[in-house]
Amino acid sequence: TGELQTKLPAPCRRYKPPPSECNPALDDPTPDYMNLLGMIFSMCGLMLKLKWCAWVAVYCSFISFANSRSSEDTKQMMSSFMLSISAVVMSYLQNPQPMTPPW
Amino acid sequence: MKGFHAFCVVLLIFGSVSEAKFDDFEDEEDIVEYDDNDFAEFEDVVEDSATESPQRVITTEDDEDETTVELEGQDESQEGDFEDADTQEGDTESEPYDDEEFEGYEDKPDTSSSKSKDPITIVDVPAHLQNSWESYYLEILMVTGLLAYIMNYIIGKNKNSRLAQAWFNTHRELLESNFTLVGDDGTNKEATSTGKLNQENEHIYNLWCSGRVCCEGMLIQLRFLKRQDLLNVLARMMRPVSDQVQIKVTMNDEDMDTYVFAVGTRKALVRLQKEMQDLSEFCSDKPKSGAKYGLPDSLAILSEMGEVTDGMMDTKMLHFLTHYADKIESIHFSDQFSGPKILQEEGQPLKLPDTKRTLLFTFNVPGSGNTYPKDMEALLPLMNMVIYSIDKAKKFRLNREGKQKADKNRARVEENFLKLTHVQRQEAAQSRREEKKRAEKERIMNEEDPEKQRRLEEAALRREQKKLEKKQMKMKQIKVKAM
Repeated sequence: TGELQTKLPAPCRRYKPPPSECNPALDDPTPDYMNLLGMIFSMCGLMLKLKWCAWVAVYCSFISFANSRSSEDTKQMMSSFMLSISAVVMSYLQNPQPMTPPW
Repeated sequence: MKGFHAFCVVLLIFGSVSEAKFDDFEDEEDIVEYDDNDFAEFEDVVEDSATESPQRVITTEDDEDETTVELEGQDESQEGDFEDADTQEGDTESEPYDDEEFEGYEDKPDTSSSKSKDPITIVDVPAHLQNSWESYYLEILMVTGLLAYIMNYIIGKNKNSRLAQAWFNTHRELLESNFTLVGDDGTNKEATSTGKLNQENEHIYNLWCSGRVCCEGMLIQLRFLKRQDLLNVLARMMRPVSDQVQIKVTMNDEDMDTYVFAVGTRKALVRLQKEMQDLSEFCSDKPKSGAKYGLPDSLAILSEMGEVTDGMMDTKMLHFLTHYADKIESIHFSDQFSGPKILQEEGQPLKLPDTKRTLLFTFNVPGSGNTYPKDMEALLPLMNMVIYSIDKAKKFRLNREGKQKADKNRARVEENFLKLTHVQRQEAAQSRREEKKRAEKERIMNEEDPEKQRRLEEAALRREQKKLEKKQMKMKQIKVKAM
């Protein structure tokens, strides 16, 4: 009876996702930063024909994917990923020499 | 004399024959490598004609001019020629070895070979033509790094998933005995228990429980470490962090009295006091030590008034707090909970944020990062504490004095807020009025019918005049009253 008293089937409240549109971005901006960085590096890699830029872009997009929030758009992720892969491929097609370290 | 002539004729004939053979050879310009077999023909020619040495010298020189880089083969073939020449000379010629005859023979090939050595410089073949994998070591390193990242992602994701499942399995019974609805993601039409965690992320799992006396619902959030991100894993090696379990119980309005109270580690309380709206407004003092009640030194208390602390710190609560102090990060009870302070760019918000009666618990999972599924069992007593707290919050009521104080506090806070925002509110009202006027004017302008336009303008004028009159009346009344 103790158990029955504690439970009330009627006033069951449904789950409402917390109305935090701005909060996720504030709490952890990592995936957004990494996305942006990835795109910048892949553009650098493509324009300036720097192989190491393209590789860093690939890493950035992977990190962004790993840190992504559930509300994150997969299209954005995929496009950044594809851009970085294309940067790497284009760098090697134009110049098949092995990469020289930037230092 | 006759013998000499005959000898000359024979010489000429054989010379022409051998030259012809060498011509064939000279025509082939593309020959790069020589095997000893290539000179087999020459060897036969050498054996046949005994006295051909001078001509042979000339022709072999020609050969040398036309041959290409490979010195070794050339050397070998030259040696072969020399050897044959020597043996030939020894066998067939009865005349003594004439050194003079062979001086040029040996020197010339030497000089010509040295000449051919000079222009040759062996250059390193560029890396991209090398066709070896070693030159691509940086690429291989990059790909290995990526593979390591992917491996870590899979491993981390699985570990988090296992931890979450272990937590849920441990706590399922307790939750199901206390709540009718365990697990809901808000998508089903009916309120049925899904009976499983709601995965928000690779490292965050939610669980919504509802259907209990006193509380509207309880949201449990398992905030694990980002084990799926290699960068995070490496950062954690420097600075160990714990997994956390955050529980937020929303109480019904009638089931909780008005007070604000928090207990937890000193660091956590300082941070909460800065961040949380209600704690910063109602609990202005610094976190106090709980030694008076028997709490360990690691825990501190923030309270609106002493009566609340006395009421909250009963024996059972103290028992929970002392035994599980290492796992408690913070406990926060508040009727004025509205979340963290909102930092708006336009200054203060124009109205007080909505408040909800809430109980918040933040627990640290033991292991500080190196957690195993069996560690989740250690959190079960803490869930008991949560259930106990819910019942306690319902039972605990402030006495008359306490209630008065609490009401005064809330009124004070509201007044302060209104004062701060008075100017902003006035400005907002003014701007709203101006907008209305502008909208009306636009409507008048947009009216195509000139008649209607005139009428609307007159109506607006009349309204304004009325307002002015009203104001004047008010001013007069105030003056009269003042007098």
